[in-house]
Amino acid sequence: MMKVKLDDKLLLKVEKPAKYTGNEWNMVRKDPEKVEVRFAFAFPDDYEIGMSHLGMKILYHIMNRREDTYCERVFAPWVDMESLMRERGIPLYTLETYTPLYEFDIVGFTLQYEMSYTNVLNMLDLGGIPVLAKERNEGHPFVCAGGPCAVNPEPMADFIDFFVIGEGEEVINEIIDTYREWKSSGSGREEFLERIAGIEGVYVPSLYDVVYNDDGTVKQVTPKSGNAPDVIRKRIIRDLDSVDFPDDVIVPYIGTVHDRIMLELFRGCIRGCRFCQAGFIYRPVRERSPERLEELAKNSVKKTGYDEISLVSLSTSDYSALPEFCDNLLRFTEKEHVSLSLPSLRVDNFSLGLMERASKVRKSGLTFAPEAGTQRLRDVINKGVTDEDLKASVQLAVAGGWDSVKLYFMLGLPTETMEDVEGIADLGISIIESCRGLSGVQEGKGIHITLSTSCFVPKPFTPFQWEPMDSIEALTEKQHHLKDIIRKRTRRIKYQYHDPRVSHMEAVLARGDRRLGKVIHTAWKLGAKFDGWDEHFSFERWQKAFEENGLDSAFYANRRRDFSEVLPWDHIDVGINRKFLMEECKKAHEGDLTRNCASGCSNCGAAVFKAGICVRKR
Amino acid sequence: MARALRFRFSRNEKLKYLAHLDMLRLFERALKRTGLPVSYTQGFNPRQKIVFGLPIAVGLTSSAEYADIEFDGDVAPETFVSKLNETLPDGAEVLDAVPLCGKSSIMSIIASAKYEIRFTLPKPLEQDEIDGIISGFLNNNDITVMKKTKSGTKPVNIRPLIYSLSVGIDGGSYILYAFVSAGSENNLRPDLLVEAIRQKTGLPVETESIHRSAMYASAFNEWKDPFEVADD
Repeated sequence: MMKVKLDDKLLLKVEKPAKYTGNEWNMVRKDPEKVEVRFAFAFPDDYEIGMSHLGMKILYHIMNRREDTYCERVFAPWVDMESLMRERGIPLYTLETYTPLYEFDIVGFTLQYEMSYTNVLNMLDLGGIPVLAKERNEGHPFVCAGGPCAVNPEPMADFIDFFVIGEGEEVINEIIDTYREWKSSGSGREEFLERIAGIEGVYVPSLYDVVYNDDGTVKQVTPKSGNAPDVIRKRIIRDLDSVDFPDDVIVPYIGTVHDRIMLELFRGCIRGCRFCQAGFIYRPVRERSPERLEELAKNSVKKTGYDEISLVSLSTSDYSALPEFCDNLLRFTEKEHVSLSLPSLRVDNFSLGLMERASKVRKSGLTFAPEAGTQRLRDVINKGVTDEDLKASVQLAVAGGWDSVKLYFMLGLPTETMEDVEGIADLGISIIESCRGLSGVQEGKGIHITLSTSCFVPKPFTPFQWEPMDSIEALTEKQHHLKDIIRKRTRRIKYQYHDPRVSHMEAVLARGDRRLGKVIHTAWKLGAKFDGWDEHFSFERWQKAFEENGLDSAFYANRRRDFSEVLPWDHIDVGINRKFLMEECKKAHEGDLTRNCASGCSNCGAAVFKAGICVRKR
Repeated sequence: MARALRFRFSRNEKLKYLAHLDMLRLFERALKRTGLPVSYTQGFNPRQKIVFGLPIAVGLTSSAEYADIEFDGDVAPETFVSKLNETLPDGAEVLDAVPLCGKSSIMSIIASAKYEIRFTLPKPLEQDEIDGIISGFLNNNDITVMKKTKSGTKPVNIRPLIYSLSVGIDGGSYILYAFVSAGSENNLRPDLLVEAIRQKTGLPVETESIHRSAMYASAFNEWKDPFEVADD
């Protein structure tokens, strides 16, 4: 067994060397010689980002509960560390035992955002594993990937031996069991892939043929082997209380993005905002019981020593037992000098009182996400919020002592006109006006508002999966127009916006097909990595990669797709009917709203899982 | 039993890449895990009442770090040492603790420190040769080097901050034993000292590791172990 050796000459030359040395509190220690399966959980971004990811903590905990398995962690080394490692021929290693990646049985990546794809290639390469799946043979690890982006696995199909679609807590055990059986059977690499292709939720791309039409759209995707299903259905955990949730998470030494205890209240979201992929792919809504959460909170504080707990979900206010649960939790946290943070809360009297009580931090910024500037467009996206709701919320917050507010919007939503864009400025200004004279606002001063716009990216498994994305030029024009009118009308509003070229690439990768593998490979060879970081992203590099492979990025990003077109991800089933998504798309164009899951079922299809809100009595 | 303690701890190779703030966070969390009744400050953002003697730079190991801590109830020094050692990560260890009765915080009393700086030379030197170089270095009344401060780089004469220097030979490498001024006022960083030796003597010192082996308080013109002045 090889172990990577590091010394001061290397580590004292890089920023934050503690990212590369492991040994954190609660890190799992096992003797690698005494386990059957060695699994490297890989997060394709910096340690500070990766260590904030709840999914990794969950699967690390689940796998390490098995005596026969040792799950270790690996992150993308920052560029300073990477260049020293390459210079000295040091392979990418895990933090637990400093073992090079190529020595593992399975290397599993989580795909949280499209712009991390090139880091997957870079980590494989640095870890001594052939980047292309077809170039791996006996003795190489199996490379798998999961996470939200895996719902359209096609762009990464050339690099990944198998994908895991959906939630991993149960299926990971089935995969490891199958791996052990296969290992003791002594058969070849293909045989393992054949075997796991039969596990629900597992997708082995090499077992499928993709045929294209002359116009470049997909004609059909067909399995080549008897064990590979026509359609791969995602896995879910039907009862969250039935699976393990870690209360002994690793406590990093250096500050990470989310450096606190994360309590997951529920999965899924009742809302059905039409742009939101998470709102569809995690259905149905399933809650963890308040009793279980309280127990987890108490044990977590004891075992980690963290002084902050954050409630995690897509929409905290929608947790059905929120008031009683928070009351009980606060009684505990106040006694233990622990603060409670409550993201994704709708602002009302209840939540403001809660925030007041929960954290003793200075009242600085409060954030809202109206997403669109006019009521018309908010109806298009099924965001059930009105101008009046927003004004009332902000007034409440201001009266409660908050003096700066940040509002999030998207530019380029389907059907958007310049009137909708201007509506963003109008909304900001009308909020400032409505707060004038409120107690809590100083005479002549007023509140500060930040308007932030991202670029709308159509995602698979949403009603907008057929929609064209705005061109880079159109988005830039909208940004400049909005900037101009805000500057002309007020100085109280700060405006922030994103680089539309990054969003364009995100759109391409999100709805891409298998041919994009070549583009990703070329871009990586040209030096692409950390594409999610502005200082490392190069649009020119990606353009070059498209040119070299004779493909057009606009084909993927900016084209309206017909309802009859076979989409590259049609053989993946997240439980949402294609017909439901089509109806939702049509309703969007009509500006018709769809009720949320708590007020009534709209037959999206998720009831097929017989879980959570789909079977709960309302 | 005491409501306040002064304790000494070490950190070894395993934790030496941590910055000072990371060490503070590490202790805060380890203390929380002990369940001991640590006192908290009042106000918006309650913090544990713990004060560290002197920040420790990235890359250094130490066998003599000090901190003062307060409790809401009585805690025996032995209980504190054993409980905290159970919750400290590999690489940090509490060595001992004494009741703290005095009012001066550890941060304000630290005045000097001892370092063991292990280094190599491209060409080996005999003991007397190297002794000669070091005493020549110390014979300068003015050893001015550029020191980085918050407001930029400025010249500082570090000679008055050096109390003693000696070199031992250990196999293929050398150990510089340095006794220098330390603390919130006139702190001489060991890496700056090495840089000064390199510049003034031309000796191509290649640092391998730096270890802090002692820290002292100054009391009535005498160097005192911080534990000895826990009642002041």
